[in-house]
Amino acid sequence: MDAAYSPSRIDDRFSRKARVKKRIGRVIVYAVLLGFAVVNAYPILWMVMNSFKSKQNFALNPFGWPTEWVLANYAEAWETANIGTYFFNSVFVGLVAVAVSILTGALAAYFLSRFEFKLRAPLYGFFVMGMLVPIHATLVPMFILMQHLKIINTHLALILPYAAFSMPITLFLLTSFMATFPKEVEESAVMDGCGVWRIFVSVILPMTRPVIATAVILNFINNWNEFSFALVLINDDSLRTLPLGLANFAGEHFTNYTGQMAALTMVLIPTLVFYLLLEKHIVRGMTQGAVKG
Amino acid sequence: MHLLKNPWKIGAGIAPAFLIYTIFCIVPIFVSFYYSFMSWNGFSPMQFVGLANYKAILQDPVFWLSFRNNILVVLASVFGQVPIALVLALILNRKVKGAKFFRTIAFMPVVISTVVISLTWKMIFNVEYGMFNWILQKIGLEFLRQNWLGDPDLAMFAVCVVIIWQYVGLYFIIFMSALQTVPSEILEAAELDGANEWQKTWYVTLPSIWNVILVSIVLCISGSLKTFDLIFVMTSGGPANATEVMATYMYTETFRGLRYGYGSAISVLIFVFSIGMISLCMKWLGRRVA
Repeated sequence: MDAAYSPSRIDDRFSRKARVKKRIGRVIVYAVLLGFAVVNAYPILWMVMNSFKSKQNFALNPFGWPTEWVLANYAEAWETANIGTYFFNSVFVGLVAVAVSILTGALAAYFLSRFEFKLRAPLYGFFVMGMLVPIHATLVPMFILMQHLKIINTHLALILPYAAFSMPITLFLLTSFMATFPKEVEESAVMDGCGVWRIFVSVILPMTRPVIATAVILNFINNWNEFSFALVLINDDSLRTLPLGLANFAGEHFTNYTGQMAALTMVLIPTLVFYLLLEKHIVRGMTQGAVKG
Repeated sequence: MHLLKNPWKIGAGIAPAFLIYTIFCIVPIFVSFYYSFMSWNGFSPMQFVGLANYKAILQDPVFWLSFRNNILVVLASVFGQVPIALVLALILNRKVKGAKFFRTIAFMPVVISTVVISLTWKMIFNVEYGMFNWILQKIGLEFLRQNWLGDPDLAMFAVCVVIIWQYVGLYFIIFMSALQTVPSEILEAAELDGANEWQKTWYVTLPSIWNVILVSIVLCISGSLKTFDLIFVMTSGGPANATEVMATYMYTETFRGLRYGYGSAISVLIFVFSIGMISLCMKWLGRRVA
């Protein structure tokens, strides 16, 4: 559609008009996008910026860049908020729960996707249905169940429900992926004399690696951010995970804004680094279900 | 698919996942149901009270307020998140510089812990130092300065803003990947037939991603029914129950008011409400797709 192709001057003028129109369109597009980016990022940036201000500076100037960068808030938050402990707890609980759900989930997905048996479809449906269960509807019975099991106020009390609530999405991701492998995959392994378990470990699992990675990351983020079970099942400050510890710290120091912001930033940074490094996996894991319907 | 002669192997393979999932995800729902017919404070022996808890709930004005707020959250999500995300995705679905950057920024709030988001926005809405009031003052709209989270008439509005903000990015990315599946031949054919941008969007693009839009609406509804952390941390349902949703009310009644039976009955209602709402949507969606 270049002007060079236009046979007459009328067309030429028309295309110039169209070009101007197009340029205005582009300006609007960029303005909208930029506005969106600012709305999305600025609240976070505002918080991070203010975490470096002294209390007086923040009170006078809650908006711009810090006039001088102060680290006192960080020292204060680190000391009073136990962030190191919470951080360790979150990593520990998150990783163990992920390990449990992926190991048991992958095994179940293997049988649900590679073998024909009567209960296959209903079982799969039963697992996937769990996506609809609202977590809060289980808080009271979970609290009492953990009391009866005598594991309330331990990390195990978080690991088990985290693993259980990751099962639907894990099985959904893994089963649908394993089901796409051709039959021949096992056939040659059977010829070589491999048993069912052997095929799982040395053939199916390695092939499923990319989706396992997605599931691990997705489940870990969910566990990392989980709040309601931690709120109900953990009492000891030394056992708290980050979200719970932070909420508590903020509740106790609710007027210490800069201290809170420093604590929040310390929690935010690892999440953002994790996100930027693994963006592709994270985004795929969280949106795949919807696009495939 | 293969036939396995030995059903024990299948059983052994599925059992670990099945047990963990059933005991800690499914059974609690039924236990909740059982507890909802009881009255006890967590220590005393349970006492069977039949439907008394449900009767009390239906006459409890705070429960109905929390129910209304739940509906408000659902409406704000469906009519806030989905259209904003769709418009942005349609805009960004062309060659723009820095598309990757915009996507990264767009999805960022989805990944950040809800507690961090709630505490950040709590400070943004702060009366004295908050960013919101500060901006209003700077652009000469000082009369609009409010105690956003402290005023019962405004708190729910403020909460909904944050809920929309947090998840727009999720639907934006979903729509972006759906838009990539729209066949470019059809768009080109429409262009040759003289269709302008609007016509192409309206008659070609939107119909081809319609299913994804519907799925997103369902996701959006089920997601917004799960709202708990955000409100709990931002307002704890206050001021004066103004931002109470069913889940926060359930928490307060059970663990602060030590009314375990009553709380369980609210849990059951949350469950029934969520499942009912989602299956309604699925039915509607199924019909639209067919």
